[in-house]
Amino acid sequence: MTILRRAGFGVLLVLIFTGRAAAQSSDDFFNPNAIQRIELWLNDQDWAKLKAAFQENTYYPADVVWNGQTAPNVGIRSRGLGSRSGTKPGLRVDIDRYSDKQTFLGLKSFVLDNLTQDHSGIKETVAMRFFARLGIPVPRETHTQLFVNGRYEGLYGLVESVDKTMMGRVFGSIGDNVLNDGFLFEYNYIQENAWRFEYQGSGLDVYKARFDIKTNETKSDTTIWGPIEELVRLVNNTPAASFEQTVGPKLDLPGFVRYIAAQNFIAQDDGFNGYDGMNNFYFYRLEDSTSHVFIAWDEDNAFLSPQFLFNTRLGDNVLTRKTLEVPAFQAQYYNVLLEAATSASDWLQQEMQRQFAMIANAMESDTKKPYSNSDHATARDAMLAFPAARITVVRCDVAKQTGTTLPAGCQ
Amino acid sequence: MKTSVSAALVVVLACAGPAFAQKRRGLVWDDRPSIVFGEDVKVDLRAKVQFDWRKFDPQIDEDTFDFRTARVALKGDLTKHFDFEIERAIDTGDSGFGDWKDVYLNWSTFDELRVKAGRFKMPFGLEQNTGATDVDFAYRSLASQIISPGRDRGVMVYGEISGNDLTYEFGVFDDDGDNGELKEPQFVEEGEDLKGVGPSYAGRITANVMKPLPVADNLKSMRFGIAYTSAAIPEGLNSLRGQSIYGTEDFFEPVYTKGRRQRFGAQFDWTPGPTGFKAEWMQSREERIGQSNRNQDLSDFVGTGWYASGTWFITGEDKDDNINPKKPLFQGGIGAIEIGARYDQLEFGSASKTGTAFTNPRSEHLVSNSDRVWTFGVNWMLNRWARVITNAVHETFDDPARTPDPGTDKFWSGLIRLQVVF
Repeated sequence: MTILRRAGFGVLLVLIFTGRAAAQSSDDFFNPNAIQRIELWLNDQDWAKLKAAFQENTYYPADVVWNGQTAPNVGIRSRGLGSRSGTKPGLRVDIDRYSDKQTFLGLKSFVLDNLTQDHSGIKETVAMRFFARLGIPVPRETHTQLFVNGRYEGLYGLVESVDKTMMGRVFGSIGDNVLNDGFLFEYNYIQENAWRFEYQGSGLDVYKARFDIKTNETKSDTTIWGPIEELVRLVNNTPAASFEQTVGPKLDLPGFVRYIAAQNFIAQDDGFNGYDGMNNFYFYRLEDSTSHVFIAWDEDNAFLSPQFLFNTRLGDNVLTRKTLEVPAFQAQYYNVLLEAATSASDWLQQEMQRQFAMIANAMESDTKKPYSNSDHATARDAMLAFPAARITVVRCDVAKQTGTTLPAGCQ
Repeated sequence: MKTSVSAALVVVLACAGPAFAQKRRGLVWDDRPSIVFGEDVKVDLRAKVQFDWRKFDPQIDEDTFDFRTARVALKGDLTKHFDFEIERAIDTGDSGFGDWKDVYLNWSTFDELRVKAGRFKMPFGLEQNTGATDVDFAYRSLASQIISPGRDRGVMVYGEISGNDLTYEFGVFDDDGDNGELKEPQFVEEGEDLKGVGPSYAGRITANVMKPLPVADNLKSMRFGIAYTSAAIPEGLNSLRGQSIYGTEDFFEPVYTKGRRQRFGAQFDWTPGPTGFKAEWMQSREERIGQSNRNQDLSDFVGTGWYASGTWFITGEDKDDNINPKKPLFQGGIGAIEIGARYDQLEFGSASKTGTAFTNPRSEHLVSNSDRVWTFGVNWMLNRWARVITNAVHETFDDPARTPDPGTDKFWSGLIRLQVVF
């Protein structure tokens, strides 16, 4: 082989490998069809500190390695509410914590969900993929094995952060802006202070406490939370006859109905119509718009039971009740339940089986999880039994409510 | 508070007659209350009060009024061989007392060899070793506040050779000075003990290097010095931190260190007639052994600061006697008036400048930040005890994200201080 040929072959190899590297994107990172492998490298003392002080949100520097690519000097911190753990910490990874300009595959952050509250390990990932099939805005998710300083720390959910980057991906750019730069809020569940969208008065502080602003933080309180106060007031004070006309410009009502119907189908007991008031969602006011939309988040309490009632707590929440008082939206609610049943019938159980197979080895060798492999097997069996039973229950309940022919299997 | 300060000022002004040192025993007044037990045995009662009014533009989270200093002290001679000082801050807390300041015993039989033991200022930093009520401006320069170690417990040998032409100071100290003490909570694994900083070693040599040279006489009083300290620092967020001139806002958060903290200093002091010129340069270098994200060594954490200042008594007093106006207020004069200006700056960063820079406290290449400060001052010395200090301060930070008001990189502040010392 001549020198030229060797050189040409070398160039070809470089092109092939750089081509592969360049092809890697955040879609590959969150690829739901493959379990990922993420390595974190951080000082031994920091990892010990993070685990010892897992209830704190202190950031620690770390290097992230995925698929041969490294993001150096990112910030990681413990995260979660009931899922916080000093043995298997849930982690938030901020790529740009120590350098504003640093991104990783275009991402500014992501979440490593420790799956400590979900013995099946797949509730969150299955729920989000199912929501996506129904057209609900959701973060991308998959599973990953997490290695810290070379040691296996267990199976984690790999979750896209709900941030400006995701808003750009979901809602697209507006005008010349690179990102969709609206007002993004994370709903803040306050323990022992359940809220079900009752009007809290004209003062903004109560809304400020419930809705943590994640973008445009420097804007005035009136600009940020004023429209939320207005929305809650209008929802509470507007009669059914003019509800859609008055509230519609402030809230994507069809999107809201789709969201709560989907949550009901997957028997989510800790969602918008949760057992202790509203919980687990992001709320987004689109850029240059008065309209708000809901974004799903943290569905690992879903799949509670196939017998979960189709009308669970629909009358408790003011927004839910008043929206469903409008006949068109009530009809839509039932339609989405049926749509979900149809979508689930040829997909949900297969998806569960696929994900269980994908995580099997990683779950079994995860010694940090707070449940046994036997517990996991029990949860797996319960999950796999959910789809068929749930589809029947929902179809029967909707038929009973709408007066249509009962499908086979109804009791 | 303002009332008590005003009352103290009135008392001092009323007592501002000629000093009447008395060769007698018992309670006497010799510029201050003093108990004389006999020849070479006496105890002076001393006090220092500083009260500030401050204005900030843009407004930052600082108090407009600040009771900056309140101390009482006993200082005296035990024989002609020993002297001592016991000084403590007065606090507004329940106990009434704050930090101990100088608490030492000094053996001074020979000029060439003296020994000081107790708690006192480590021999590093010209301005830091000048008393808080004797410095030329209301606040010391950033480097003097942050890099210079300040007080610590220790033992020091020192002396003067050939008159005052050459001085030396060498000491060993328990920690690394008040300014170098650990400020972050330490993390230790179960069963581990907390680790302290120190011991530290410090030395300084100063000399009138121009004196033997064939130069003009007024240049011969130029004094130069070099200084060095070294201390062991335990693992943790223990580095020196960059703070703004008022000492409450960080412009550089501490980074993880482990190993040795060294300081290098050079100083210059010249006081021809009514003018004074001072300059210092100092640098701290702190090791970061095993402190990277992957437990590897990082380049040193480096702090570098310097200042240069000039002052002028427009009323003609000799700078060496700057506390004693020729014509005190109400005694045929207006007191002494001194004007001055100082430029100082302090920068923190890593020794390594290669690769992408991060603010991460374990980064090899740290994003540096500096504070550059202009201070303009007028000191009005009413008499030997009372002084009114007026300063205008302009700070500029390199990194607008790390300032007392993130997003703003330039700050003006003004200060008027009332100071009474006896």
